[in-house]
Amino acid sequence: MYAYDKFDRALTDTRVAEFRDQVERRMKGELSEEEFRPIRLMNGLYLQLHAYMLRVAVPYGTMSGDQMRRLAHIARKYDKGYGHFTTRQNIQFNWPKLSETPDILAELAEVEMHAIQTSGNCIRNVTSDQFAGATADEIADPRPYAELLRQWSSFHPEFSFLPRKFKFAITGADQDRAAVKWHDIGLIVRKNDKGELGFEVLAGGGMGRTPVIGKTIRKFLPEKDLLSYVEAMLRTYNEQGRRDNKYKARIKILIEAMGADEFARQTEAEWERIKDAHIDVPLEEMARIKAFFTPPPLEVLATNVPAINTLAKQNFLFASWLKNNTNAHKVPGYVNVTISLKPHGGIPGDATAEQMDLVAALADAYSQSEIRVSHEQNLILPHVAKRDLPALWTDLDEAGLGTANVGLLTDMIVCPGLDYCALANARSIPIAQAITKRFDDIKRLQDIGPLKVKMSGCINSCGHHHAGHIGILGVDRKGKELYQILLGGSGAEDASKAGILGPGFDEHGIVDALEKIVAVYLGERRDGEEFLATYRRIGADIFKEAIYDAA
Amino acid sequence: MAKKLKGPQMILANWLDSGRVVFFTRDGGWSADTSLAAYAEGEALDALLAEAEKSARNNLIVGTELVGATIKNDAAYPAHIKHTVQAKGPSVRPDLGYQVATNWEAA
Repeated sequence: MYAYDKFDRALTDTRVAEFRDQVERRMKGELSEEEFRPIRLMNGLYLQLHAYMLRVAVPYGTMSGDQMRRLAHIARKYDKGYGHFTTRQNIQFNWPKLSETPDILAELAEVEMHAIQTSGNCIRNVTSDQFAGATADEIADPRPYAELLRQWSSFHPEFSFLPRKFKFAITGADQDRAAVKWHDIGLIVRKNDKGELGFEVLAGGGMGRTPVIGKTIRKFLPEKDLLSYVEAMLRTYNEQGRRDNKYKARIKILIEAMGADEFARQTEAEWERIKDAHIDVPLEEMARIKAFFTPPPLEVLATNVPAINTLAKQNFLFASWLKNNTNAHKVPGYVNVTISLKPHGGIPGDATAEQMDLVAALADAYSQSEIRVSHEQNLILPHVAKRDLPALWTDLDEAGLGTANVGLLTDMIVCPGLDYCALANARSIPIAQAITKRFDDIKRLQDIGPLKVKMSGCINSCGHHHAGHIGILGVDRKGKELYQILLGGSGAEDASKAGILGPGFDEHGIVDALEKIVAVYLGERRDGEEFLATYRRIGADIFKEAIYDAA
Repeated sequence: MAKKLKGPQMILANWLDSGRVVFFTRDGGWSADTSLAAYAEGEALDALLAEAEKSARNNLIVGTELVGATIKNDAAYPAHIKHTVQAKGPSVRPDLGYQVATNWEAA
């Protein structure tokens, strides 16, 4: 993992001291709320529905056991004993006091964490594949590049006041687990014909009220040119992105208006001008950053572990967890374990301080003290030896963290909705809870197979409903919460935008409608066909008939 | 401006330090208890808002906002679900928020 140097440390410590002074001045009335608001937002502090909300970045979703323990401590000491992991690999605390936030940030800085640029019209936390550096299907670990982008974008003077917020995602694998095509800039690590590392560069993706899938701006950008090229892209956007209407201010709107080819042409022209201006870091610096992400020295172990097979035969839940919650590691004898934060009947993405402490302890014991956060709001222990799985599963299950539903219908992305969010129009969490109660049987879920349900409580799409195989969008109709269904979206390498089926349902009707959609799929699917493939083959009409005509 | 809003309105804000939701009360203070909230409609709204903003100038309160009210037995309750959730606390965490301290269902 990356370790701060004296510059990183000075940067975060200075920012904490500066914010402490600003909070004190606000508390004394020397700063008005109007003056203070942009300052607190740049430090990740929102005023939400019930209280302040502090959004802390987990850069590219990687953290240590010690960092997780510190998050647990903050949840316990300054909040109400829990935190919420988000789709951008952040954690949100829902109840901090304004006067205590400088202390929270100081405690975070001690473990090399911060809330800088987790809000505001700037470059946000760079997100990545949760299995980065640990998966068998990877060209290269994307995290050194994500770290480089973090350093480059932190307090970048030219890009601190962009037309609108700006989100990067990067993956090193062909299988896109980071929704890169749905980001302002998406980067996919590629190799050219000579075997040299570089990136496919995409731009103009985004969700929100105008969902757009990103377009490839450059098929191959050499690794060494990353910073100068994205600087040229950001400069083109910063100069020409709209500032007159916040709903038209994202880069996706600019690229839709001028065309991807023209955006690429202008970017290339700007890049030609600045590429030799020493924006890119020397190779030695890139090598220094890469060294922090050297894979742990894992001894190759037997891939067949009889004790696992025996337990799986005896215990259906363990067998299901093994099937759904583990994935292939690059070293034989190891797996990556996904800890579901979607317990049936629970709140998606929430973890208690006790659960965070347990995950930290299990990371120390089983995963080289490494933890990942996925954009699907789960936690991951990478590098787990297969022989440790029975003990690990037992510990997780006892703490309510053993739900064997990863990748299945109840592993939903769900925004906080109207229970917490000032922007939301409808509640999301109670609908998720009702769905997980209706689909509580793991055997049934496994029979349904891989299915991504994503739910947002408003059109801002924090719950990625446009990218769901099944999306659910909460709306407010004359003071009543209604829920629309969308079908056919994907956040993966085959990205597609889901389409709305028709009028919304109330909180009970939406669960019934979901069940009818699943029934249509089960009736129509061909051998081995997953939901999205069936939908793409048969289209929306038959689903529409099932949920509306019978009503 | 405010007088154009339909029906009775109450004034919602947040404590500066805790950020917790409060309502401007009939005695000119701020409370989490909506049944104590002042309410008005039509032309009287501007005066109520001015009074609340004057009270907010002591720097203990931020974000004053007019929200629709339902009146029951001369007590005001938020008309919209958003403000009900704000007043009570998260519907999915009945152990948190003002709903813990009061019997909302009976109100």
